[in-house]
Amino acid sequence: MTIYSLYIFDRRIRHCICVYYHDWHRTRRPKSAVEGGILPAVSTAVFAPAADANSSALSGYASPRNTLSSASGIVVAVNEMNSQSTASPLLQAPPSPIAVSSTGLAFDEEVKLVYGVVLSLRNMIKKLSGRYEIVDLSENLPERYKIYRDEQFVNYRTSAYKLHLFETLSGYKFVMLSDPGIESMRLVLRQIYVGPFLEYVVRNPLISMDSKEHGIDNEYFRTSVDRMVRGLSFYL
Amino acid sequence: MATSSKQYLTRGEELWKGRSEKVNAELFALTYGALVVQLIQDYEDYSEVNKQLEKMGHNIGTRLIEDFLAKSNLGRCADFREVGEVVAKVGFKSFLNITPAIAHTTIRPGSTGSAPPQATNSAGSSFSLTFDENPLAEFVELPEDALEGGLWFSNVLCGVIRGALEMVQMQVQVEFVSDVLRGDETTELRVKLIKHLEEEVPVADD
Repeated sequence: MTIYSLYIFDRRIRHCICVYYHDWHRTRRPKSAVEGGILPAVSTAVFAPAADANSSALSGYASPRNTLSSASGIVVAVNEMNSQSTASPLLQAPPSPIAVSSTGLAFDEEVKLVYGVVLSLRNMIKKLSGRYEIVDLSENLPERYKIYRDEQFVNYRTSAYKLHLFETLSGYKFVMLSDPGIESMRLVLRQIYVGPFLEYVVRNPLISMDSKEHGIDNEYFRTSVDRMVRGLSFYL
Repeated sequence: MATSSKQYLTRGEELWKGRSEKVNAELFALTYGALVVQLIQDYEDYSEVNKQLEKMGHNIGTRLIEDFLAKSNLGRCADFREVGEVVAKVGFKSFLNITPAIAHTTIRPGSTGSAPPQATNSAGSSFSLTFDENPLAEFVELPEDALEGGLWFSNVLCGVIRGALEMVQMQVQVEFVSDVLRGDETTELRVKLIKHLEEEVPVADD
């Protein structure tokens, strides 16, 4: 019973833009993304080392469990992502390194797959339930406009993992992968949205929310998400 | 409709009361005033100031909507009429502690405002908000040249509404049609639905 990883996708639905990644008890890591495959400030663990990557980024790779040695740091350091070589006092000491094998899949590919499955599944579900309507205003309209009717899938389960989805009306998608035996994490994902996300991303003027250049990773957000997830009763 | 309208009023009230961090209304009004004055000095052109205020508002709105969605926990509105109710009774109430009067209008060709004449089947595709009180415009008197220049003092509100609704897949046109600061009898803001932004499935890439 544990939690593997968390992905947050941008509210622009038409593109797969992963703005945040965090993992916990994940035994097999994806390979780091190819350069340009993923935005900076999404996650340190899988972010392709930039040409000028310093020792901090490298040590991050040496102990792959250490997702918290945030090399991207606070996003104020836009042009010097790797400038923060020392771990911040805010972050807890990294857990003891465990040998982590790779899934053999690059992170940017993995992200696309996760996004793809979420999007296809939710569109299929909407179509199946027959409540999926888009009305173009240029057509002749009935008096009351029809808009999308919401019907969201909450999670799906395989023998190996369970995928949980929480989507906001604005289109942010919070996706969590966990152990298959776990109960619904939808509320937890919502709490992440209402709590840390609102506080450290939406209200953080240093984070541009619909940026094409940067993710939303920052020290406070990462720390507080981490604390929240570690505090869950089924986090082991 | 009447019941849900009341529900929205209560919801807005609750949200306003539950909001822990509030800003002094006078400080708020004076800060906003200072901002507008600074813009006027910087741009020296009132229509440009209107534009900049709208743009600022848009940036505010795109973030504010997340706060709103997270706190209000409301579902998606069934139609644009409901959108209007929520904007007026929950949105304005929870952020500014005002509830503008809402009128769902049919835009008639040749009506006031610069809204382009619309086919008559667009009933319900727009609403107007009439502000009895406007916290932005407390203590404000517009000088003669601002009046002549066509300054919409509270134009930031237009941007906020546009930005916020854009993030929930509605493209709207928002503009002031009258303002007491200009000597009009009411302060009225019109919101017109242009279209629902469609979701698109990303292009397959392999």
